[in-house]
Amino acid sequence: MDKGKILYLAKGFRGRAKNCIRIARERVEKALQYSYRDRRNKKRDMRGLWIQRINAGTRLYGVNYGEFMHGLMKENIQLNRKVLSEIAMHEPYSFKSLVDISKNAFPGNKVHFFVASKKPAALIK
Amino acid sequence: MLAMASPRSTASTPCTRLHSSVHISNLDKPSSCHISLKSHFTPKFQVAENRIVAKAPCRSSKIMHIRCEEIYAPGAEEMYIPEEFRQIYEEIEKLGPAILDKTWYPKGVDSDNTKKTWYIVDATDKVLGRLASTIAIHIRGKNLPTFTPSVDMGAYVIVTNAEKIAVSGKKRTQKLYRRHSGRPGGLKEETFDQLQKRIPERIIEHAVRGMLPKGRLGRRLFTHLKVYKGPDHPHVAQKPVPLPIMDKRIMIKK
Repeated sequence: MDKGKILYLAKGFRGRAKNCIRIARERVEKALQYSYRDRRNKKRDMRGLWIQRINAGTRLYGVNYGEFMHGLMKENIQLNRKVLSEIAMHEPYSFKSLVDISKNAFPGNKVHFFVASKKPAALIK
Repeated sequence: MLAMASPRSTASTPCTRLHSSVHISNLDKPSSCHISLKSHFTPKFQVAENRIVAKAPCRSSKIMHIRCEEIYAPGAEEMYIPEEFRQIYEEIEKLGPAILDKTWYPKGVDSDNTKKTWYIVDATDKVLGRLASTIAIHIRGKNLPTFTPSVDMGAYVIVTNAEKIAVSGKKRTQKLYRRHSGRPGGLKEETFDQLQKRIPERIIEHAVRGMLPKGRLGRRLFTHLKVYKGPDHPHVAQKPVPLPIMDKRIMIKK
């Protein structure tokens, strides 16, 4: 790659890495390596984020992620985690019905306790 | 529907009308988010002579919006759909925008500090670590389905009666809090007991800080924790709600 291309790719870098070709060349090479690696990592990270969001959404109803997914698998609901997390955020009533389906299919093993007067935040009944 | 004759136009087929916005505004107990659906379609086709100007989406909801990407700027949404494809769009249009395609990322308004919930918890006779864990989860926002690691989506937490926090076993006399002044020989230690007499708020702050992420965002999250000695706090105007605790072992066993 010629200098011009490298310095173009080095826009926004810190210090001399955006101006001086010798330093910029190293940083740009590293940046391209990171972007190659992270195109693959992004898929993993996103899935982790969806799972965290679904977990939070189901715990509002006293079900954790593992039990929820097990119940869905039993019912052969093939919604993927991306869609489930979006439903949990934007379509609360639909998500509640999914949680109910899962609870019917797999009621779980634990019994949940609540501290005396402290109830969880308002749930959709 | 304005009919504007353009000199080039030949076909005079009517265009399908796209509705502009659908509202879900019937959530009585908004425990989670509320959205206003807007039409998703970008004008990909050439504009025909019958221009349809979709109405600007109205934001009449008083509850927090989760906004989908606003591709439809008012005045720009004219779309001509050739006849063979019209059927598809007529069906899709009724389903609403394709919000499921892209993972949602919060906008500035979604993480607005003035709209956040305030929680209050009384630390009397609660186990230190278990309480700190619950607090940290709420401050970070991990209990919300809108959790985003890079954005501050959590709530504020007020802790009162900080000097009455409890620990199990012999920690009261044996747990050490250490700090270093930076100079050689500058390691200072004090026990839980001594620190509780001196600065009781620091115990809970230390515990929660250790459970929040370390970094720029973590330091900002830490400022959302307000710890007070005694039962009073100056945040009555924020109308704090009791913190929901799901841990069944949070009270100290005597």
